[in-house]
Amino acid sequence: MLAIRQDFEADSDGLAAIASRSTLVDELVVRLWTAEVAADAALAKGVVLAAIGGYGRSQLFPHSDIDLLFCAEKGEAEYAKGAIRRVTQALWDCGMRVSPMTRKLSECERFQAENAEFGLSLFDRRMLIGDVALFAKLDEKIRGKLMVKDAKTIRMEIASLTRERHAKYGDTLFHLEPNVKDGPGGMRDANICGWLQMLQAGSSSAVGETEEFDEAVAFLAATRCFLHYRHERDDNALDWRAQDAAAEQAVGLGAERRKVGGVDPAYWMRVYFRRGRIVERCMLRQFEAHGLVLAPVELRRVKLAGNQGFRLKDGALMLDPAEGTDPAAEPEIVLGLFAAMAKTGARLGGESELRIAAAIPQLSANLEEGPGLWRRLSEILTGERAGTALRAMHTLGLLELILPEFHGIDALVIRDAYHRYTVDEHTFVLVDTLHGLAVDPGPNAPEWREKLGSMLRELQSPGLLYLAALLHDTGKGRASDDHAAESARMAKSVLARLEMDAYDAALVLRLIEMHLEMSNALRRDIFDADTVRTFASKVQTHEALRMLTLFTYADIDAVHPDALTPWKAENLWRLSMNASNQLDRNVDEERVHTSGRDERIVRFLAMLPGREAEAQRFLEGFPERYLKTRSPEAIRQHFELTTRFEKEPFQIVFQHGAEVSEITLVTQDRPRLFAGMAAALAAWGMNVVTAAGYANEAGVVVDTFRFTDRFRTLELNESERERFVESVRDLVAGRASVEKMLSGRKRSKRRAPRVLVETRIDFDETASSHSTLLQVVAQDVPGLLRAISVTLSAAGHNVEVALVDTEGETAIDVFYLTHDGLRLNEEQEIELHAALLEAIKENAQ
Amino acid sequence: MQKIEAVIQPSKLDAVKDALVELGVLGITIFEVRGHGRQKGHTEFYRGREYAVDLLPKIKLELVVADDMAEKAIQAIISAARTGRIGDGKIFVSKIDEAIRIRNDERGEIAV
Repeated sequence: MLAIRQDFEADSDGLAAIASRSTLVDELVVRLWTAEVAADAALAKGVVLAAIGGYGRSQLFPHSDIDLLFCAEKGEAEYAKGAIRRVTQALWDCGMRVSPMTRKLSECERFQAENAEFGLSLFDRRMLIGDVALFAKLDEKIRGKLMVKDAKTIRMEIASLTRERHAKYGDTLFHLEPNVKDGPGGMRDANICGWLQMLQAGSSSAVGETEEFDEAVAFLAATRCFLHYRHERDDNALDWRAQDAAAEQAVGLGAERRKVGGVDPAYWMRVYFRRGRIVERCMLRQFEAHGLVLAPVELRRVKLAGNQGFRLKDGALMLDPAEGTDPAAEPEIVLGLFAAMAKTGARLGGESELRIAAAIPQLSANLEEGPGLWRRLSEILTGERAGTALRAMHTLGLLELILPEFHGIDALVIRDAYHRYTVDEHTFVLVDTLHGLAVDPGPNAPEWREKLGSMLRELQSPGLLYLAALLHDTGKGRASDDHAAESARMAKSVLARLEMDAYDAALVLRLIEMHLEMSNALRRDIFDADTVRTFASKVQTHEALRMLTLFTYADIDAVHPDALTPWKAENLWRLSMNASNQLDRNVDEERVHTSGRDERIVRFLAMLPGREAEAQRFLEGFPERYLKTRSPEAIRQHFELTTRFEKEPFQIVFQHGAEVSEITLVTQDRPRLFAGMAAALAAWGMNVVTAAGYANEAGVVVDTFRFTDRFRTLELNESERERFVESVRDLVAGRASVEKMLSGRKRSKRRAPRVLVETRIDFDETASSHSTLLQVVAQDVPGLLRAISVTLSAAGHNVEVALVDTEGETAIDVFYLTHDGLRLNEEQEIELHAALLEAIKENAQ
Repeated sequence: MQKIEAVIQPSKLDAVKDALVELGVLGITIFEVRGHGRQKGHTEFYRGREYAVDLLPKIKLELVVADDMAEKAIQAIISAARTGRIGDGKIFVSKIDEAIRIRNDERGEIAV
């Protein structure tokens, strides 16, 4: 035994070590039984000794039990009892942990589900010594009866045992401290591949899997051997210290690699996970070949369009056969397939999986980036079973093809006291957790759970949140002290390749950059005004706050199954609520002063060499929120527009989006501008989702409206977009009549609201030193913003800052108002309150 | 021996823990709790809806120390957890008759 260990320590050949131990035990068993037969010749007939289980496969790990079958003809077992006891005793005396089983031949011919381990161990049987004819009969009984008549029961039992075993490990291979034997992708899964193959072939030995499978098994065998020697018992947990030691000895990496010396533990673990992934995939393919499903999921009933190059059959998505060009090489078809997977939860068919894996080079050559790719990726990310699709894409290397930035966190182990999974798996669990929030939690769910669920369902662009989630930890793959900043840097190139619109890209980047801010704020006093103010000033907008709240919830939950206690979740929701209330309270007070050396100001000024003074004048006095929520490029564009006022005083930038479009007006401040824009959009039937109106010290106004196109006017008629911009310009400039246009618009039938929102109007005198804050919360119906802003204008109030937001069916509009340069007095507030209630009511009718 | 139960602001946990460790306190049990004392709750408005915040999040620490260590531990908690504002928390002290280490049946102060 010592020599075997020394050999293993020299060459790290696990398969050789376990085979040598088997041979050694064989010799011992044969010698002991020979001695018994020499003493009593009657034992030569009617009894056979067979190695079964791992020992039968000649895979006897250093501290594994020795499964020894004493098979006897009827009546012989009793006679051989004494000899069997003596042989077993002698083996124990030699330090062997033997598990002897004495069975009559008839007890080996049927599979007993209640003793499934024994039945399965018979698959791997090997004669050691005894009655040759009896072993032939045993062999025949197992092959001819057990493996044929009970094949269905055996299959079901294998599936059930595997499910239970995998569930113990959270159904993922990617644990920071995995179990090499029982965990997903471990040695037991490799054994299952063999058993299922034997059932298929009716053979007594497993047909070899692929070369990569054999390599993976050899690696796992070396690792398990190493662990047994290290722990000096049958302990298969690959803990951190064992990982360090295994890496130092380059366990399982082959003689050539070992000559060079040890390797980095993170690298060694990646090799481990990649090998485990191969084993797990082989096992899943075997499952499919036997009509078994490892994780039965209730497929979501989603109708899939036909003729997409793939089909859904028996719960699996399968590519159409290759006729000419293989659909597996067509990115649009393959990504469509994964989008269908994300929608339905169906698994990927084994044959299709192999075809896609083989077609990766062609997919790489055929892949086109840009909005089309973002549309497909967004479809995948927002599908309820996105995690399933993303994992499958990652396993095949497709995710890395689209997002090479993901490569750095593939199977990456970051050691800390909290995380349970590798960085990539943590990301997928996070995505799963987010989608889980959309599921109705039932009537007894706590308030925070209900609120987070509706927050998710009501997101205007959920794809952005999921994209931020997918990329948030990519920076961990690079050496950096600040992985959030590094991830954001890496995300920039992803967003550029996807040609995402500037607003969406800025939101994704901000989410990634500040993805730890809320967790950090939770460690402080969440009811403390300073904590809340500081946090809110980092988040800036309600949309970002909603996304960050959801993200933080899922990020904590994905760290460890016990990490997110209800106590923490409620605190998170309370902080979100407090920050939301704080968000709009200081906007008018916190203004840009270009004398400060804010990084964003520096970046903006750097874009305009030689024009710094002019650019500084432009920025001076805008609310900080403008600077924080707009990219330097967008601000530069607004600045450039101010230089064209002489030619056209109403400068407009329009960007059409598939879901939400954006229009920005840049002009000199004058009465009724904001109301004019709101009215113009209402006249075109557009529904404002968010809006922000800011002015600088020099009186330049930047009013931005993001809206949905209810009648798809601009989507269906591309030529209308130019007319739309001109029309809005004319309406705002007073060159056309809003009333006339509105009267000509046929009012669409409004659907009944799902949630009734009571109108609430509040004034706050403390939010600003020179203006009155007005907050209107009301049912979000078309024309609401127009009704409010026109009422404000009619009363002669000036909108200093406007912040318009929508949360599901609730519109939350905040205005900082002045009247003749002063705050509103009590009488004006009372009058405005009544006028607004009337206008909102009238608009709703 | 004395048992010290302290209800503190969650944001003060790290500071209190560090202070106790520095003092040589080896065992602390921590609970995430909700409750109110004189601080009571308050009402928040969010998006036009009213939400009662009647039970506030707190952290409860439990530790058992030798008699001669008790006052030092109490002072350490007070110094680390005090802000001077309502809501800083409370400390409760009670006598402990016996402590037993399950592993080896050690009893008394040596077991804490």
